[in-house]
Order: sequence, then C-alpha cells, then structure tokens
Amino acid sequence: MEYIDTQRYILAFKAGRALRRDGTNLVEPKPEKGAIILYDGEDDLLHLVWKDRTTGSVGEDLIMFEGDASFTQIPNAPGGRTFVLKFQSSDQRHFFWMQDASSERDTDFVRNLNGLLQDPDFSLTWNTETPPAASTSGPSRPVQQATSEQVETLRRLLSSYRAGSAAPATAPPEYSLTDILTPANINPLFTSHPELVPTLFPHLPSDLPNPPNEETVTQIIASPQFRSAVSNLDQALRTGLLGGFVRSLGLPEEAGASVEAFLKAIQDQAASEDSMQTD
Amino acid sequence: MSTGEENSGWNLTESDPGVFTELLRSLGVPMIFDDLYSLDPSTLAAHEPLHALIFLFKWTSDSPDPTSGGSYDSDFPGFFAHQVVNNACATLAVLNALGNIPSLKSGQPLAELFNFTQGMDPQTRGLVVTSADWLRECHNSLTPPSAISLDGLGLPKSSEDAYHFIVYLPFMGSVYELDGLKASPIRHGAYEENSEGWAGKAREVIESRIATYPPGSLEFSLLALHDDPLPTLQEQLSVAQTAGDQSLLAELMQNISDENSKRERWAFENALRRHNHMGLMHALLKLLAKTDNLDAAKEGAKTKMTERREKAKARGEAMDED
Repeated sequence: MEYIDTQRYILAFKAGRALRRDGTNLVEPKPEKGAIILYDGEDDLLHLVWKDRTTGSVGEDLIMFEGDASFTQIPNAPGGRTFVLKFQSSDQRHFFWMQDASSERDTDFVRNLNGLLQDPDFSLTWNTETPPAASTSGPSRPVQQATSEQVETLRRLLSSYRAGSAAPATAPPEYSLTDILTPANINPLFTSHPELVPTLFPHLPSDLPNPPNEETVTQIIASPQFRSAVSNLDQALRTGLLGGFVRSLGLPEEAGASVEAFLKAIQDQAASEDSMQTD
Repeated sequence: MSTGEENSGWNLTESDPGVFTELLRSLGVPMIFDDLYSLDPSTLAAHEPLHALIFLFKWTSDSPDPTSGGSYDSDFPGFFAHQVVNNACATLAVLNALGNIPSLKSGQPLAELFNFTQGMDPQTRGLVVTSADWLRECHNSLTPPSAISLDGLGLPKSSEDAYHFIVYLPFMGSVYELDGLKASPIRHGAYEENSEGWAGKAREVIESRIATYPPGSLEFSLLALHDDPLPTLQEQLSVAQTAGDQSLLAELMQNISDENSKRERWAFENALRRHNHMGLMHALLKLLAKTDNLDAAKEGAKTKMTERREKAKARGEAMDED
C-alpha cells in the first residue's frame, strides 16, 4: 500500500465504511475504525482514501477529478451520520459513516470535503471553535476565514438542502438566545458595573414616556416585546442565512451562520473594542 | 397564519387596550378602550357613556363557532364592512364600531373614508378599508418593525391563530352584533331605556354566547369603547377645587392619577412595540462578553435546554422545536 505522507493531507476525519450486502440494497456499516483522507498525490492528482486506523492499511484509494464527486448524507439512515460518495462519471457508490465522537463537526467536515471535491483550491472553513489537528497540512494550506463568495455558496447550499430534504436540516438546538439574554443573567451586571447602564440608553426607544434609568432597562429586558425580539433573532440565526444582515452590526458574514458563530463574533468584537480603548 | 401576500401587508396586531387606544389616537378619535373584567352593571356603568363593546376571542376546539341568536339584518343602514384580510381584523372591528357612532369626532382621513363608503355593500366597504394605505400604516405602526425580515427564511409559522373580533353596539334602539366574517349584522332586539341602557341587553347576549361554548374551550376578553374620561375628570377637579369639596377632590385626584398611570404604561408598552430591539440585544451581548459572562451564560442556557427536554420527555410530550 502506498505510504501517504501526512504533509500531503488536505483534509482528514474519522469515518467507517459501510458495504453493500451482495444482491441487496442493504448497506451495512462495518465496525473498523477508519478515516477518510483527502490528499495531494505524488501523481499530482487528488486522492480520496479510506484508511483503517487500527491496522494502518488503506482500504480504498480513489482519484477525484474536479467536480466529479460529492459526499451526501443519506436522509433515512438512523443517526443521520451515514454518507455516500457518488460520482457523475460513473455508478460507483461508496458508503461511509462518521466516527468522530461528537457529531458537531460533521457539517464542517462534509462541507469542506464537498468544497474540495468541487475545487481543490477551496479554502477550509470551520464553524466550530477549534479546527481538528489533521485539517492543516503545512504552511501551504493555512486555515482561512471564509470569503464572502464561499459564504454565499454555503448559504445557497443550505437553503437548497432545506428546500429539498424531507428530514430537518438542523439538529435540535443546544441552547437558545432566550436563555442567555435573561434578566437573571443581565441584571447582576448592572449592580457590578453600574457605569455600563448609560451606555445602553442610546439603544432604547426614543419615545419612552419618561427619561430612562436602570429600572427602565430592567423592565424592558423583562418585557414581552423584548423577549419576542430575542426569540425572533434566535430563530433567524438558526437558519444560518443572516450573513448579509450581521454585517450591519459590524460583524463578519460568518457570524450569520449560526447562533454559535454569532456569539463567537460578538466575543471577538467585544475584545477588540476593549483593546482599542486601552491603547 | 397566512402568508404575507394573503395579508396584503397588514401586520398581525396584539389585542391589547393600549394598542387599540393608540389606533384611536392615530385616527383622531378622542375615545379610549379599556379592558372589562366583568359585565356586571357597576363595571359597565363606570364606563358610561359606553359606545361599543368588542368581544375578542379565540376558541380552541375544531367545531365551528356556535350561532349566537338574533336575526340577520341585511338592510342594516349603518356602517358594516366585511373582513377581507385576516390580519386587519382588529382595525376592521374598530371601524365597524366607530362607523356607527353618531356625531363622531375624528381626523379628516377617517371622516372621508366613512363618507366615501356610504351606501356601499359590506364586501366593497371591506375592500376599500383594507386598500387604504394610510389606514394600513396606522395599523402597522403598532407592530414591531422587522429588524430582520423573517419572510422567506422558511421559518415555520407559529400555530397561534388571530383573535376574532365581534362588535356589539346600539343602533336605532336595538343591540346589534357586527361580525366581519358574517354576511350581515345581526339584530338582537330592542333594549330598554333604563339606567343600564343598551349595555344591559348586550350583557345578556354576550353571556348567553359565552355559555354556548364548551367549558375551557374559549379564551376571550372584552373591550369597552368609551369617551376619554380625562378631560371630564379634569373639569370635575376644577369644580371640586372651587367648591372646596375635599373628599370629592381626593377621589377625583385618585381617579386621575390611576388613569394617568394606565396611559403611561400603555405609552411605555407601545414604545417597546414599535422599537427595533436589535441594537439593544447586540449591546447586551457585548456587555456580557466584556464582563466575561458570556461563556457562563451560554453554559447555563445549554443546561436549561437539556432540563426542558428532559421534563418534556418525562411528560411524554415532544418538544416544540420551532
């Protein structure tokens, strides 16, 4: 088996194989721990390889021509972590199941794999906090922020996926903004940082019957109107389609991809505002 | 709820006396709406002169709305418009009430609208009303501005239906029921000219209507349309001051103070309804980040979500995943 220089890895993630039972349409997952690896071959071709992580042997070695293959989720498979690699140029089908301990990064892996299969110069993007170690393969392919073109592609992919699939496109949410922007979380800040309260006044309605004070802010945060706005924002962020909108808040487009991305971008924005002030 | 196109740009409003009173203000009508918590004579008397009662309800069973008694009056000579756009139902009910008040004081646009629609059939009137841009803008000004347009994002619509509105009012000696979804107004018969006036008859009709619904299936409230009491109270206050009537003075001052607190609360809520809260949400999230509390808030939120799911599972319910 060909030795694959890890320096040539472009993308890798844990995955097992699922093989078709002869004469049937059944695809059965095999228990072996493996990995899907996309790498630059010495032949200057893009290879997709399935490697057994226990024995080190390579079970599949496929040459990927630009735009030919796609890695698609099988909608009815229980657990939602079964995928098929299929080709425009042939009837080949290779089935895999995601083996990363958490399914959180599945969408990142799948998106990046499909991106690279379409265009080997695709820049990897990660919506989760720490990119897995195998994603970088040396200085020639650093992890970059997504360009607006890529985000646009992502947006189109997400909306077409949602429009087409019968299964829900997103897993149930881990948390909601409505549990973050609560009086219980915010009111104590006013006690510990009273100087921050007046900074909120410009964001309050300009036609309040009385000039605002700390109690006004507290009342507003507890009001049904504000809570409804928070719920709307949470729902809208979960669609992943707010890339254009979040720029009006001074945030990068990626911040519109999810609630998690939004909060991360706000964290960054807050940190950079603080450092600007201390300069 | 229907899609944007079907609602022709009319937003769904809250059914709140503060919202409805603000609508009256924007129409130039010096009246107010108040919540009625009971139909007993003393409560009704407190809102004299009472111009109309609006009964708003949503019923939760699948069976159709029981019939309310009375008889259809297709020759009704007053103002009656059909509801042609779902989301406009609140404004339509208000217009069906205002349009039948003799010598109504109002702004120019409303007076012209009533003039223009005289003699029209209910369906045409309904179309004219919902095509009036200025009216739609008044109506929509009471709903939150779209900070983010949620149309076209494919979000599932919430299952909450709009309230349905029915107007009860006196007209030429009888109590009438005006329901924009019915072909014509319904005449419930003459009322006695006693101390209660038409309100007594209206009470009977409404109570018997409520009794026809299976218990627990009906969520409703009642709004009373009446003159703004403040100017009268102020006049009475001056008189009492001149007369030196201390106890009356104290009572009037209390009433005026209560009325003003209520208006202030309505003004506060309406300001929040009209406001785009995006700036505030952004600023608060940054505040949490700057004070190093955002991560903890996120973890707490995850715990709450898990607890909620577990509780729902224990109750055997599926979680509403929006």
